[in-house]
Amino acid sequence: MAKDHIVVGLEIGTSKICVVVGELKRDGSVQILGVGEAPARGVRKGEIVDIETCGKCVREAVADAEEKSDVMIKNVYLGITGAHIQSFNNRGSFTLPDEREKIDGEDHARVQEAARTAPIPAQNMFIHTILQHYYVDGQDGVLNPVGMFGKKLEADFHIVHGVANRIKNSIQCLCDLDIEIEDIIFCPYAAAQAVLDQSQKNIGALMVDIGGGTTDYVLYTGAAVKQSGCIGVGGDHITNDLSLGLHLPMGKAELLKIKEGSCELGGSLPGETVSLKDEHGFAGKEVEREMLNTIIHMRVRETFELLKRELDKAHYLRYVGAGMVLTGGSSQLRGIRELAEEVLQIPVHLCQAQNVSGVTSAFENPQYSTAIGLAKYAQATFDEDSGGLLDWFKGWFR
Amino acid sequence: MIELTRSRQTAAAPKIKFLGLGGAGCTMLDQVLRDGGDGIALNTDAQALSASSAQTRVPLGTAATRGLGAGGDPDAGYAAAEESADAIRAALDDAQLVFLCAGLGGGTGSGAAPLVAHLARKAGAIVVAFVTLPFGFEGKRRGEQAAVALGQLEQQADLVVCFENDRMSEAEGAEENIQQAFFSADQIVSQSIRAIAEMAQRSSLIGIGLDDLASVLRRQEARCLFGYGESEGSNRAHAALEQALSSPLMRRGEMLAESHAVLVQIAGGVGLTLREVSQCMEDFNRYVSDRALVHFGVSTDAALGERLSISILSSTGQPIAKAAPTQRPALTRCVEVEAEDLVPETLDAPQVQPARPAPRPAPVYAKIPVPRKEEKAEQMALEPASRGRFDKGEPTIVNGEDLDVPTFLRKSARGK
Repeated sequence: MAKDHIVVGLEIGTSKICVVVGELKRDGSVQILGVGEAPARGVRKGEIVDIETCGKCVREAVADAEEKSDVMIKNVYLGITGAHIQSFNNRGSFTLPDEREKIDGEDHARVQEAARTAPIPAQNMFIHTILQHYYVDGQDGVLNPVGMFGKKLEADFHIVHGVANRIKNSIQCLCDLDIEIEDIIFCPYAAAQAVLDQSQKNIGALMVDIGGGTTDYVLYTGAAVKQSGCIGVGGDHITNDLSLGLHLPMGKAELLKIKEGSCELGGSLPGETVSLKDEHGFAGKEVEREMLNTIIHMRVRETFELLKRELDKAHYLRYVGAGMVLTGGSSQLRGIRELAEEVLQIPVHLCQAQNVSGVTSAFENPQYSTAIGLAKYAQATFDEDSGGLLDWFKGWFR
Repeated sequence: MIELTRSRQTAAAPKIKFLGLGGAGCTMLDQVLRDGGDGIALNTDAQALSASSAQTRVPLGTAATRGLGAGGDPDAGYAAAEESADAIRAALDDAQLVFLCAGLGGGTGSGAAPLVAHLARKAGAIVVAFVTLPFGFEGKRRGEQAAVALGQLEQQADLVVCFENDRMSEAEGAEENIQQAFFSADQIVSQSIRAIAEMAQRSSLIGIGLDDLASVLRRQEARCLFGYGESEGSNRAHAALEQALSSPLMRRGEMLAESHAVLVQIAGGVGLTLREVSQCMEDFNRYVSDRALVHFGVSTDAALGERLSISILSSTGQPIAKAAPTQRPALTRCVEVEAEDLVPETLDAPQVQPARPAPRPAPVYAKIPVPRKEEKAEQMALEPASRGRFDKGEPTIVNGEDLDVPTFLRKSARGK
């Protein structure tokens, strides 16, 4: 089978493990060949709490993806998340030695190294050092400094770091599978590759991925990542709240949330109820709709308020021209867009993966944004690394 | 030992003075004095001294430094203190318990602290020193100066409680603005000073003496762990403990698992119940290892009203061997005992003079191992009933709120 470069994104989510097999097209798009999925067990709030069980689920998901896409999965791009992941902006600078006056390709690495000298807790490791801007001798707005004359090269970076041991746990899950990990990517950064297009990144956009266990966000202005992070609250919390508040088993609460739940208050008639049918082992129950929605509303509002507080620590929210883009499984909740607009005071759009083709059911579902994004991220790094077609093939036959 | 209530010799609380030495020490002192107390500020820098809120201000070395500060030179700091020894003695008056705060690494703090401690001890006071070690980025030289000073101070003071700026800033997060970071570091130190002072002053049901303190804090290469929590309401015992454990130096109680001896002081208004105390201690005991020695004190203070406060003090590191040369013959003495009996008479001020330029010992702070415990996968849930499926997981705490507890429970839903 003649296939172009195949990339595989693997996301270990709180509710499901998702494997997306994509084919990189030369026009810059990604064609989805297949999506493998398995319900996740042993994951809480985006972090692994039971490696063995989680490993089994990963195996299932990978097998499913292999079957659907007819591709042997050898290398994956692994998405990670969790509230332990933190980020900050830092500037690296490098002064060229006297005998040189032109900036070369290696200087970029030196500047990046300099930016990484920022102090992070000893148990943490760097995940990303994402370039924001270059400055050459103080000159702003340099897109590519290589080949330029200059004495001092500076660059701003967005640095993402997390607790090393927790990241290693995610890697451990893939160990038995004989799969190589190409790269580790912070989930919202990957999801942003899928749901935001270049113009949105240019004029500024906030991407928020509300998943099962976590709410991840990344904020772009001027085509550069300015803020990113993870709040350890997600759809699971809504379900848990419902389960505790309405005295329902988790399964029923989840079903109720998906089928009937809404973040909108006052949208129901007084005394309006939702009835849960009785079945084996469950006696049936009438739930007041307003009560149901209130519980959801309070949790979601609080999550957005936490997000706003995080974002308000820097002033970038004002420069978000394209507004907020909401994705992830929980973004399917009714009324969530309006609530987000109310709390954050910026326009909010619901969005799925962009610029991909193939299995329609996959990219039209916001649940797969991150996994597709991982494949897109792979494409981006691929474009960067390879200058010509030759390199392209070298990479492929490596 | 402050055995005043137990020895029944006198019912009065010991006379306590707080001393701030040098720039950093005076800043700490200002924090401590916010809640009242008898403070003495000592500084070579006259300008900084005038900004202090202490009742008594003693300029050091007016002739030697002309009120311009010691310029980061411990020798200058020492000389200044020596010059003003009489003034210091006069200011100390007849204090029985002296809390000495200083930032080591600079001139005044490093140079004068051992001498001031010595003077205070000679005057008959028990000296507890609270010192901070400089940030790593302040340079090797300052680190070495601090280590030398710490070594000398350990020989002079009855007790040294040592805080590392590096660790406090790590705990506070590098994100915070610098003013906030310094403020919270000072606050941690001042809280621990106040907590120890109060342990000595409050009328105790179960008392904690300086002997207990000494057994907890006298460790080799000790790093002080301190947590303070205060709360009111129906769940105040839990809430206060949570707060104390969430103190930056505690790392959510993880550090406690490593310590060999812990001191816990619970204080409450007259309404403090035995149940609350036992509840508190039961929770607390989950964080410490079974073999740790827990010194435990309870006191009541009407001024606390409905509030309940918990102070936790501990340190990492091994107990100092009995034969260690730096060990003082007796730490646990009654205030009534003549201090001179215990201070070796040969220890005159000039001998305290650091033997420079003798080779400096390697900085203590550089040798201090940084125990990186594996992150605990699970933590005890304090309210199992209300966290549902997140019951066994590590709680997500943001701004003191456990986000795993349903929002509507925390904010008492309007719809209910």
